Amino acid sequence: MNRGNDRLENLLIPFELLEPRTLPEALSMLADDDTAVRPMGGGTALMLMMKAAVFTPRRLVSLRALAPALGGIALDERGALCLGGMATLSSLEHSALVKTHASVITRAMPQLSNVRVRHVATVGGALAHADPHMDLPTILTALDARVQIAGPGGSRELFVDALITGYYETALAGNELITGVAIDAVPGRKAAYIKCTTRAADDWPALGVALSLVCSGGHIETARVVIGAATDRPTRVPAAEAALAGALIEGTTLAAATLDRVRDAVASQVVYTSDAQGSGAYKRQLARVHVVRAITAALQA
Amino acid sequence: MDTKVSPDQVIDAQQVGRSVPRMEGAAKVTGRAEYIHNLRLPGVLHGKVFRSRIAHGRILSIDTSAARAVAGVHSVVTGEDIRRIIPEPYYGPAFHDQPILALDKVRYVGEPVAAVLAADPHVAEYAAGLITAEYEELPAVFNEVEAATSSVYVHDELKPAITFPDLKHLKGKRNTNVALDYKLRRGDVAAAFASAAHVFEHEFHTQHIMHTPFEPFVALAEPLDDSVTIHTSSQMPAYVRLEIARLLGWPENKVRARTAYLGGGFGAKVYVKIEPLVVALALLARRPVKMSLTMEEQFYVIGKHATTFRIKSAITADGRIAARKCEVFWNGGAYADIGPRVSQKSGFTSTGPYQIECAEIDSAEIYTNLPPAGAFRGFGIPQLVWAYESHTDIIARALKIDPLEFRRRNILHDGQEHPTGTVMRDAEFDEVLVRIAARMGWDQPFDRGTGTKRRGRGIAIGVKASIAPTTSFALVNVSADGSAVLFCNTIDMGQASNTANAQLVAEVLGIAAERVKVTQADTDVTPFDMGTLGSRSMFHMGHAVRLAAEHARTQLEALCAEGGITYSGEQSVAQGFRKKFGMQAGNIFGVGHYTSRYQAADPVTGMSKEVTPFWMIGGAGIELEVDTETGHVTILRMVNVVDAGRAINPRVVETQISGAALMQMGQTMTEEMIFTSAGELTNPSLAYYKIPGIHDIPASIENEAVEAETRNGPFGSKGVGESGTFGVSPAIANAIDDAVGVRLYSLPLTPESIYRAICAARGEPLED
Amino acid sequence: MSVATRTINFTLNGAPVSATIAPHHTLLEVVRDTFGLNGARESCGQGLCGCCTLMVNGQSVSGCLSLAAFADGATVTTVENLAVDGKLSPLQTAFIECGAFQCGFCTSGFLLMATELLASNPKPTEGEIRNHLSGNLCRCATYPEVMRAVQLAAERMA
Repeated sequence: MNRGNDRLENLLIPFELLEPRTLPEALSMLADDDTAVRPMGGGTALMLMMKAAVFTPRRLVSLRALAPALGGIALDERGALCLGGMATLSSLEHSALVKTHASVITRAMPQLSNVRVRHVATVGGALAHADPHMDLPTILTALDARVQIAGPGGSRELFVDALITGYYETALAGNELITGVAIDAVPGRKAAYIKCTTRAADDWPALGVALSLVCSGGHIETARVVIGAATDRPTRVPAAEAALAGALIEGTTLAAATLDRVRDAVASQVVYTSDAQGSGAYKRQLARVHVVRAITAALQA
Repeated sequence: MDTKVSPDQVIDAQQVGRSVPRMEGAAKVTGRAEYIHNLRLPGVLHGKVFRSRIAHGRILSIDTSAARAVAGVHSVVTGEDIRRIIPEPYYGPAFHDQPILALDKVRYVGEPVAAVLAADPHVAEYAAGLITAEYEELPAVFNEVEAATSSVYVHDELKPAITFPDLKHLKGKRNTNVALDYKLRRGDVAAAFASAAHVFEHEFHTQHIMHTPFEPFVALAEPLDDSVTIHTSSQMPAYVRLEIARLLGWPENKVRARTAYLGGGFGAKVYVKIEPLVVALALLARRPVKMSLTMEEQFYVIGKHATTFRIKSAITADGRIAARKCEVFWNGGAYADIGPRVSQKSGFTSTGPYQIECAEIDSAEIYTNLPPAGAFRGFGIPQLVWAYESHTDIIARALKIDPLEFRRRNILHDGQEHPTGTVMRDAEFDEVLVRIAARMGWDQPFDRGTGTKRRGRGIAIGVKASIAPTTSFALVNVSADGSAVLFCNTIDMGQASNTANAQLVAEVLGIAAERVKVTQADTDVTPFDMGTLGSRSMFHMGHAVRLAAEHARTQLEALCAEGGITYSGEQSVAQGFRKKFGMQAGNIFGVGHYTSRYQAADPVTGMSKEVTPFWMIGGAGIELEVDTETGHVTILRMVNVVDAGRAINPRVVETQISGAALMQMGQTMTEEMIFTSAGELTNPSLAYYKIPGIHDIPASIENEAVEAETRNGPFGSKGVGESGTFGVSPAIANAIDDAVGVRLYSLPLTPESIYRAICAARGEPLED
Repeated sequence: MSVATRTINFTLNGAPVSATIAPHHTLLEVVRDTFGLNGARESCGQGLCGCCTLMVNGQSVSGCLSLAAFADGATVTTVENLAVDGKLSPLQTAFIECGAFQCGFCTSGFLLMATELLASNPKPTEGEIRNHLSGNLCRCATYPEVMRAVQLAAERMA
């Protein structure tokens, strides 16, 4: 994060710390045109950026007081799983509703970040930060989650893949907040996520592979295949999804030819970034291998 | 000290060989243990450093005006300011080459250039970020092999300190980056190679590593009327005192260095590091000054040498090593620190623990424009064992000789002469190999895995000579109630030296170890010791402590005898004092000191009859699984066996073996300081420099200290802090070769490097 | 440089306290420098090593990444609160018996995390222990001993 060595851990430049009690109040404290004004959820990512002096705030708008209103996990009337923007990753991890309706999140959670971060980090923060090495956006993309956004002009909704537009970039305006995420109930959907590290096990993923398969009558109807971490943003692989659509399920796997097509698709249709975690070429190989392992894991789920 | 143990409870029970719980255990689990990190003093100023952003350049100007203008800044100090109190502000144990703050030139990215003092550390930090400097950039050199012959020179002239006779010839030498050139010449190497049945030659590499002690470097200097007290997280308080006194031109008794528990050291905190700067700042400011480096800053202070090792062996038709040539280049960074000692002391054993009649070693410490390298757990040995035990395995496999058998055929035995000319004594090499093999079931069939999961196993063994000659002093103070306090400078940085030393005192005095108190090092009261490094303390300080306790016991026995009492531990002492002095008051002082024997290496042959007072031996056995589709390695089983002599505290010995081996495992698999082509470190943080976590630990770890006795050691013991590191890296590489038939020559063994090797072996190299 | 300060009130190891802080102060700084509780320590500065672990409202957090301002109204506990009336907790005793530390710098964090784990999961599997402690690093690598200590304490508390 901090490649320099001259401005270590500088938290000093005075900033204003606000703690609005309501959503409208919070929205009124944000600014569309000032990058030094930021909302703060759990704050772990912002604190790291502030300590590394890559972000120097003028005003921080803490959303802590909104947690009672925006921290819930519930089903809506259509059966969609609704995660509050201020729901912590820990609350997802231990939620019976999440386990029943999106068990891929429950299974993934113990490997994501660490317990202390999960206690404070929020769903909204994880999405708004758009750090490609975060796992949750990749998973939510595979689940075709809808992101609810509040702004001064009212609220709007975007799919996750429309929200995250690039490397640390989103479609959010500076004065908008993520209030929740909805995951529609899809009968027969099985999902899996694989976090692949190349250094210590507690590292950020070098590659994340998330997929969801809507299964019916012994075959896959539709699929979503998403590559994360090795790309600038969670990236769907339409050619892989097309290869999976209609495939016959053979136990916990698929026909070799189908798997070959999926492998070739993730290898050829995605640009993998080279960094200290591995070369693009190597990550491409990891993706080829792990997409198949993720299919098996999803079918076993 | 555990006061729950009654004075007479354990008299005559054996204290040596008992797994006494750590004396400081309760303090550490309640958060109360003292670290210098915690020290606060009224009126203290916090120092923060502005560092060079270029690798090599002449300083044209330093602009501190913006920093000085920040409200709350006390002062800003540059190298020239330090000359006001220290005219020759260069320090270092081997060379006086390191300026307290850069003078004239900067020599690596991250070198301290200026320092800001403020009462609020955030203010100092902020202000340091406002300093700018202009440089005339100079060409820089980073690779150790290139630097050995480069025309880019890190230093204009070599300035050896007077301490080491074998560096004297380098004084005033110009146009070189070679800071030490140890050579060994034994036998007719050329003839042995000419008549060899097989010749093998390989080149191995190791990477830059940082110790990352979790208590980052911290020191607080407190100027007093005509003296200075330095509170420092140091493995070497006596040296801190000596070097600061030298820099200031003061008598040693005007300088006091004290420590508390260390939050890790691993060799990072030997000699002086930030102490000269903190002292200079405190004397300039006439206020106490504390500097607490961040984890990030630690990477710019000291690291472990990256190395290139070219090794060549002549093998006879019956599978014996007839000759070996070793050429080792040590990347010492911009300042020598103790690097030249690393390359010489470890250079001695570059040929490995084998019977080799003809040997040639060239082990050179090379200056480069990178952060300095120095001592790191193993003192250079892990880099060497990595190379010679990988090489040894390649030879055995090529000759279709079982790797265990090949090693045992060539291994040194007691009474045989090491290539340095020193005769092996109390060195259980073969037993270590035998025990590794027995635990691993080496002669049993092995499940080699199937499909994309392939299993392999490997072994390796290494040897280290201790640092000699060195001296330790100890003082045992027995109070009139018979309780004892040990004063010694051995620093407990987690290795439980206080507990072990208490056991030695207790053993000699015939009391319970729990009744002995050990002071923290404080040069005003604790006597000289060379330092806590290189596994020397158990042996050297152990002897000094034993002698001090024996001296005390002799006097205690005499005191008791005078009063007609038989000495029998604490209560008898109390009676003795009452009889002699009419009251239970007074002290008995026992003193002891020990200097190890050493014969300097012959300047021509590099040989010596006595390179070390004892040998450290460590081996490892590894079973692992390789995912052939990704190169990921899962270590299934790790067997660590060492010769630690007789264990003073078996549980502590086991923890030392395990901790050393797991630390080396991290350096084998993940740890690496990565530099840009401009010498900038890209990953100075635990976020990007990955040390092992709890998920990275093998499912099965076995640790064993073989039955052994060091006849010249205190109670048969010797040092054990490093032995567990020796065999780990090559044992893992050897097991990978066994599993998937590929050989890796550079650390770390990343999944990508393994996968690429697998692809290359298939003839389908991974295309970028 | 003038920085607006504010006063926070919170419960620290069972006692109500207040502190004057600036917005940029971390909870770790306040616990250490204002209240002299040294068990939590800053090491990596990035929430990765766990040396700065504190309990806020019953949940573990990284003190070095927590703004002190947010502790207003909270209940904060530290490793100093684990022993009651000088009597060590079963985990503390097990850590000593198993040799589950060397230098001790990271020990407070491991103890608080393990205490949190056993409070919600009295019989954790080896995998659950590893998962819960995966955000705590020990440079002395006493992980095998820590595993044993947590298992031993769990057995004794059962």
